[in-house]
Amino acid sequence: MSEMRVLIVDDSSVMRKIVERSLRQAGLDPMVVLEAGSGVEGLEVLSSQSVHLILSDINMPSMDGLEFLRQIRAQNLAVGVPVVMITTESSEEHVKQAILSGAQGYIRKPFTAEQVKERVLPLLAAVQGC
Amino acid sequence: MTQSLRENLHLVSDPRNLDSSVDEVFNMMLGVVCHPIEKIPVEEPETITAVVGFGGLLSGACVFRSGASAALVIAGKLTGMEFSEIDDTVKDAIGEVCNMLAGTWKGRVPDLSAKCGLSIPAVITGSSYQIHVQAPEFRLHHVFQFDDTTFAVTIICDGLQ
Repeated sequence: MSEMRVLIVDDSSVMRKIVERSLRQAGLDPMVVLEAGSGVEGLEVLSSQSVHLILSDINMPSMDGLEFLRQIRAQNLAVGVPVVMITTESSEEHVKQAILSGAQGYIRKPFTAEQVKERVLPLLAAVQGC
Repeated sequence: MTQSLRENLHLVSDPRNLDSSVDEVFNMMLGVVCHPIEKIPVEEPETITAVVGFGGLLSGACVFRSGASAALVIAGKLTGMEFSEIDDTVKDAIGEVCNMLAGTWKGRVPDLSAKCGLSIPAVITGSSYQIHVQAPEFRLHHVFQFDDTTFAVTIICDGLQ
């Protein structure tokens, strides 16, 4: 797999590192990780840099993950790039909201590296196959 | 579910949900097996408390509390790093643990999962402080242990629709 560029959006720096570690364990290595602490920061990153994958928390201050998703689509940023939500919110309603907002995947915290692998790799394979 | 949560108070306040939530979070994220214990741990001079609020059908909070030494162990296992003091990364880690505990606990009851929101974690450090809630609807408080590390998790419900 060629070098992947991944944007991880979470207000917790600890969680960003855990997600990065899980991605590397899933086989996404070499990988360039871009980090953002909020949806606003995430949009700033996407306005100037390209990525292959976005993973975002939902509950964040200043701009939550669902609004971040809507803004990505509204501003035509990261077109065709899969977005996976990683969040403690696990109800069907939350999943539905995320999908309607433009997410392709959903991972509930707590999670294992294996679960990250199962959700993320098929999305990347589909994009690379296009 | 057509009944209100108040009519299903026994489901919401089932203490087994707290134990299984702690087990799930610590097993999946830290790779340790936790079990509830009866004894009250000796309070260390420095303690850390993380609070995640509930809002919506249920209002209240999930509270994680431990001594400094336990917090360093938990943050270390979560991040793979070593810590010698409670710095911002440790506070962040403990806040995230509390966040996952709160989310997992409310996910045990379907109506709560969908109609109860979570706040951003708040973390308090210091000594000789207590959190008071007047006349909660119910309160679950369990002490847990893995290896020599102990911590307490409390679910406080002060309003239920």
